[in-house]
Amino acid sequence: MAVFKQRWQRWLQRRIPPATSVLLTQRRIFIIPTRIGAAFSLALLLMLMAGINYQNSPAYGLTFLLAAVFVIAILHTYRNLAGLTLHAAGGSPVFVGEQATLRVRLSSNGRAHQSVALGWPPQDLQHFDVPANGLAECELIVPARKRGWLRPGRLRVESRFPLGILVTWSLVDLDQAVLVYPRPLAGDMPVAAGTREDDEDQGARVLGQGADDYQGLKTYQPGDSKRRLHWKAYSRGHGLLVKDFAALAGRDLWLDFSELQGDSEMRLSVLCHWVLSLSERQQPFALRLPGLVLGPDNGQTHREACLRALALYGQENVR
Amino acid sequence: MSAVQAIPRISLLWLLVAQVLVIIPHLAHLPLWIVALWLVCAGWRVQIYRMRAQYPATWLKSGLTVGIVGGVYLSRGSLIGLDAGVVLLIAAFILKLVEMRSRRDALVLILLGFFAVVTVYLFDDRLTTVAFTLLPVTGLLAALIGLQQSPLQQSPWQPLRLAASLLAQALPLMLLLFLFFPRFGPLWSLPMPDQRGVTGLSDSMAPNDIAELSRSDALAFRASFEGAPPPRNQQYWRALTFDKFEGRRWSQSSEVRWTSAPSWTPAGEPIRYRIIMEASSKPWLFGIDLATTELERTRLMSDFRLERREPVDQKLVYRVTSWPQALREPTMVKPAIRRVLQLPADGNPRSRAWAQQLKDQYPDPQALVQAVLQHFNREPYFYTLRPPPVGENSIDDFLFDTRRGFCEHYAGATAFVLRAAGVPARVVTGYQGGELNVSGNYIQVRQFDAHAWVEYWREGTGWTSVDPTFQVAPQRIEQGLEQALAGEQSFLENSPLSLLRYRHIGWLNDLRMSWENLNYGWERWVLGYQQGTQLEVLQKWFGRLDSGDFVLALVGGGGAVLLLVALWLFKPWRRERDVHQRLYLRFERLLARHGVQRQPGEGARAFAQRAELALPAQLGHIRAFADAFEAQRYGGAPSAPDHLQCHLRALRRALPIRLLRRD
Repeated sequence: MAVFKQRWQRWLQRRIPPATSVLLTQRRIFIIPTRIGAAFSLALLLMLMAGINYQNSPAYGLTFLLAAVFVIAILHTYRNLAGLTLHAAGGSPVFVGEQATLRVRLSSNGRAHQSVALGWPPQDLQHFDVPANGLAECELIVPARKRGWLRPGRLRVESRFPLGILVTWSLVDLDQAVLVYPRPLAGDMPVAAGTREDDEDQGARVLGQGADDYQGLKTYQPGDSKRRLHWKAYSRGHGLLVKDFAALAGRDLWLDFSELQGDSEMRLSVLCHWVLSLSERQQPFALRLPGLVLGPDNGQTHREACLRALALYGQENVR
Repeated sequence: MSAVQAIPRISLLWLLVAQVLVIIPHLAHLPLWIVALWLVCAGWRVQIYRMRAQYPATWLKSGLTVGIVGGVYLSRGSLIGLDAGVVLLIAAFILKLVEMRSRRDALVLILLGFFAVVTVYLFDDRLTTVAFTLLPVTGLLAALIGLQQSPLQQSPWQPLRLAASLLAQALPLMLLLFLFFPRFGPLWSLPMPDQRGVTGLSDSMAPNDIAELSRSDALAFRASFEGAPPPRNQQYWRALTFDKFEGRRWSQSSEVRWTSAPSWTPAGEPIRYRIIMEASSKPWLFGIDLATTELERTRLMSDFRLERREPVDQKLVYRVTSWPQALREPTMVKPAIRRVLQLPADGNPRSRAWAQQLKDQYPDPQALVQAVLQHFNREPYFYTLRPPPVGENSIDDFLFDTRRGFCEHYAGATAFVLRAAGVPARVVTGYQGGELNVSGNYIQVRQFDAHAWVEYWREGTGWTSVDPTFQVAPQRIEQGLEQALAGEQSFLENSPLSLLRYRHIGWLNDLRMSWENLNYGWERWVLGYQQGTQLEVLQKWFGRLDSGDFVLALVGGGGAVLLLVALWLFKPWRRERDVHQRLYLRFERLLARHGVQRQPGEGARAFAQRAELALPAQLGHIRAFADAFEAQRYGGAPSAPDHLQCHLRALRRALPIRLLRRD
């Protein structure tokens, strides 16, 4: 069984190679009858029996008409998927335990496509309509269960429109991934304050932007916190100024993986919590993981770098 | 899938519409309370949809089911048989509507609906009805499509249009299947629709029976001749004979009912024709004397009638060869002769006296028969649909007092007098004449063409038919009932809407004739398209066919039809618009084989420049193609795909051959 699965995956990989944008063509679309189709066929068989046993031409006729509809429905069902293009449209990082949202854009190059279902089985598929020559923006939800890159695998695109008696589907790899950060967990701050050699030093070494000590005013630049805007100066006509604080190096916060107890997932969760809360307070900090030091620094970029490092800690395919 | 998928509004709407349309053609044979049941159930269902009512509780559902089964039993007298079965089917079809919660239930309802449409055909397979059933079929398909739509779709017409176009596209394939799908005989026997209400000849005859029948313009059968039809006065369609007289009623003796054909010798030219008979619920078939057929399970009986082993409950098509001049039963054994001379011990004394007098006067039976016929001709007898009632001695009353009668009076009286005079004779009933449809070359025989005549027997010459009615009303035989009753105005007087009453209005009659032609074609070529006809038709078109040819025709023809529909649906020629894109893709694939892959998001020019660096030997060709592509696609240069193709070909030739693809 496993051998077959592997072969199937390899075959799929060759047939529909990963790409951020996939046009569904006849090479990439499969079609089979559904259970409804089987029930429909059974009904047709009964009708045919009535036609034969009663020697009734109209009964034959209706049976054949519906059988022909079944066959024609193959073309219609296929057509509802063919010519549709799927584009990966990204997704935003989430924390473990949340629902990750992956965005997929469906675009039609011609006719309208009705009730196209997208999703990753065994989860429920979500249905979308794509207008003729138009777009549909789909947000697909995947539960984030593990930190690291969440790769939901091949996306199932399927359609049963118009009659539901046939299902046509494709499995596309849009090369999508969402970063999943560890689940934040409140705990003691794993702090190692300052560097050991500087113990004597009582001076306030200025170390870039911080939140501890007021240093003076500087002109506002996009990206500066609005909370620190000097409104009084603005009202006096001095332009936009921000109050500049300096962080005291002696009180730099070092979030250290090795200072924590417990298994590594738990430590990462605690670190994640502190990264979030310190960033919230705009307090500079450094993160020390085995083999990696980030900071000290603060700001959005630093926060994301830290979270990413936490998410990918210990994982091989770091990208 | 989620637990219960609600039924979309549009689907529910079409389901309700389709249900009405399915029930309408059934109304003729459904008890009326079914309509009330539908109204209640549909109203309930709509209220459920509007959240103003609950789904029925289990006890209510079981109660309703028991009630309906009881109702069917009360109104049909049984729960088995086709009639009761169809009422139950329709009742289930209606009840399921209320109970329907999920899409699955809706699906069951739709499939039930298709089956209910098939049951319509068992009762009524007229062209109009079958054409009408296309409406419920379209509605059911629209409901099926509605089930698959997302709830955001608003237009109820869109699924209907799609359903109609699906049906239209399925039509060629359906015709192919209809023509070539091999027809079998019935696999097992099933209950047949109840034909008790059908009018037609009965197995006995009393005065006024045929006159009653003549008020109906229902079709009895159609006959189409291979050559010219015989003249009208020879179109005597035998159904059965009566050899037993019980004072008032003529019927069949049990011996005649069971014995099969006596000796007969063909003579003269045969007439060949085909008969499409309407359901009569009686076993006898129609034919001009002396009729033979190769229809299965059918025999020529001792009185030269054709009888099938089971009653004709459905339209029946059979071929007949008739020998009008055949010599029938030149010798007869004594008991058989006694049977056709049998008369009640007493009654009708005046007629017996007259017969005795004739017997004395004419020792030769033929002369005696002529004398009786002459009598009807000379004396004041009248042909009428409204004969006065006759008493106990019905023959006496008619012959000597009232002298007004319909064919059964004349035939009955003649047979009686002949028997009383010692001439073996019996009454024959059937149809006489019919309406010739000139353009279709077939004859339509209706119930008002029902007729009774007499045949007498002589040693050596066998049976000879005579028609006393001809002596009284020759127009009846030569023109038809309407002309024979012209003075009386009683033709179809109870059916003022019958188009047959207005045959004198030219355009209306033409219209009626064309309509009947269409129906005839429908019955002959569509309804009659069973085993025999199928082979006959296909062999006429394609020569000899064996089973392999059928498979080939179905598969090959089906494939061809499907291909045509696919071409029409996908219109591949439309894709030519993006010829540039396709050529560029080919360019990309060509370079990829030589190790230059276009990166996602890499523009055409950047890619070309990279390729030029990677393949410096082919620089000129790559640049030529890239420039031409850019100019045509983005630079507003006139579109010239040939030009692009030229560059591409040059590039391919310039590149070294690589057999292995690099994946």
